[in-house]
Amino acid sequence: MVLHGDTATVQHGVGTFGSRNTAVGGTALVLALQELKEKIERYGAMLLDSNDVVYSNGICTCNKTGKTVELSEISGASYNANTLPPQTQPGLVSTNYWEPPNYAFPFGAHLIVSEVDRDTGEIEIKKYLAVDDCGKVINPLMVEGQVHGGVAQGLGQALYEQVVYDQTGQLITGEYMDYAIPKASMMPHIQTDRTETPSPVNPLGVKGIGEAGTIAASPAIVNSVVDALSPFGVRHIDMPLTPEKVWKLVQEGGK
Amino acid sequence: MIPQGFTYSKPNSLPEAMDLLAKDDVKLLAGGMSLIPMMKLRLATPEHLIDLGAISELNSISENLGNLHIGALTTHDTLANSSLIQEKSPLLAETASHIGDIQVRNMGTIGGSTAHADPAADYPASLCALDAQIKLVRKDSQRVVLASEFFIDALTTVLEPDEIITEIIVPVENPKTGTSYKKLRQPASGFAIVGIATRLQLSDGIVSLARIGVTGLGPNGFRATEAENALQNTAATDADINKAITFLDGGVEVNSDIHASSNYRSHVARIYTTRAIKTALARIAC
Repeated sequence: MVLHGDTATVQHGVGTFGSRNTAVGGTALVLALQELKEKIERYGAMLLDSNDVVYSNGICTCNKTGKTVELSEISGASYNANTLPPQTQPGLVSTNYWEPPNYAFPFGAHLIVSEVDRDTGEIEIKKYLAVDDCGKVINPLMVEGQVHGGVAQGLGQALYEQVVYDQTGQLITGEYMDYAIPKASMMPHIQTDRTETPSPVNPLGVKGIGEAGTIAASPAIVNSVVDALSPFGVRHIDMPLTPEKVWKLVQEGGK
Repeated sequence: MIPQGFTYSKPNSLPEAMDLLAKDDVKLLAGGMSLIPMMKLRLATPEHLIDLGAISELNSISENLGNLHIGALTTHDTLANSSLIQEKSPLLAETASHIGDIQVRNMGTIGGSTAHADPAADYPASLCALDAQIKLVRKDSQRVVLASEFFIDALTTVLEPDEIITEIIVPVENPKTGTSYKKLRQPASGFAIVGIATRLQLSDGIVSLARIGVTGLGPNGFRATEAENALQNTAATDADINKAITFLDGGVEVNSDIHASSNYRSHVARIYTTRAIKTALARIAC
């Protein structure tokens, strides 16, 4: 069982920022599991009276005799403090921590084909290609979901989201009737692909993926629109790219 | 937020609803897609809420003498997806399909939206273009009002406090009529920054019927009669259309907000009208 994000069950934590969960927490988990496996094998060695045992799929096997002992029996024995392997604490418990020696650097490229309606300034994203490298992939579906979610956030920033106050300081985008975020129906189809370059800075070779979409989508969208409008002399547009803003730039030739 | 306290009743018949309506400070609840949010924001604080949801006679569609009679409680989703409406009033079906999102379309009703008269609602444009008649019933009498005379200001209609909208009457469209609804969506709410409904008939290549309904541009939905007149009896060439759209706003004070300035709104309304006219013409069965 894996328990997620509940401060009632975690003694101390600093959050999931920096797309660090798998690279940092995941590494601590792997180290803890490795330690636990060694511990199981030490108990298995004691129960099988051998110093050449290997643990796999819930069973410890003696390599010489082929004798086996199951995890349930090992687990029971681990709490019998009368007979413990040397220098081994009771219980199949392991806690581990990981301080990364360096940053893991995911990378990628997002490529967008967009179309601008020159009469109204409306933008349509015709094609969205996202190729990301988050090192070793543990769960491909989760990786793809993270890219989709990140792209939605980046697209919201590029096209819709803005906080507006009126002249008296009243926030006038204080609810979702006025503050636009992309709904599913407003998202383009996202075509994803990846390369897998393992990170050298953690034993899993993993890198973050949660923010890849948020980082790539906004500039990719803006760049594609600026490129589409370059014949009109447009070199820069501030986000969000509202239809009116785009239309005005077309009218004014980028000024 | 939490609405101010109110009494709630759910009558089973129209006469029962009329009796309840006699109280002061009453609001009628249909789909609740506008009223409930307004109550939560305390922009509306009715003392009494009458839920019309159990009055089955308000929830029907029938055809009679070349007209469709659409019960006030008919949902946007029903109008968008009913094959009867798609065939006999394609403009209404197309318009309904553009409203809000699927949750709003499942709950919201044509009668509720019409009574609420949001300046950016989708129906007013199409109801005006359809010459729709809105049937208003009170305890001892009833009347029928043309859509173009029903909407008179932002959130304001000719509906009296003791009246209930029971049905909306629209013509059964013949294949010689082409229609189109085009809309620039406000991305947060899904309401129309501008929405344009067009309804055209040709006779020997000459426009014999021109209807242009506009929403989002001014305080209420309206018929752009000057633009219609400019298009009438022309061949609807690009030059004719370009001329007609210059009369589009009919002197209304054009809305301006964070989503679109008045200048941009006017411009987009003209572009969308051009496109809606061309789409409607292309849809006329030859």
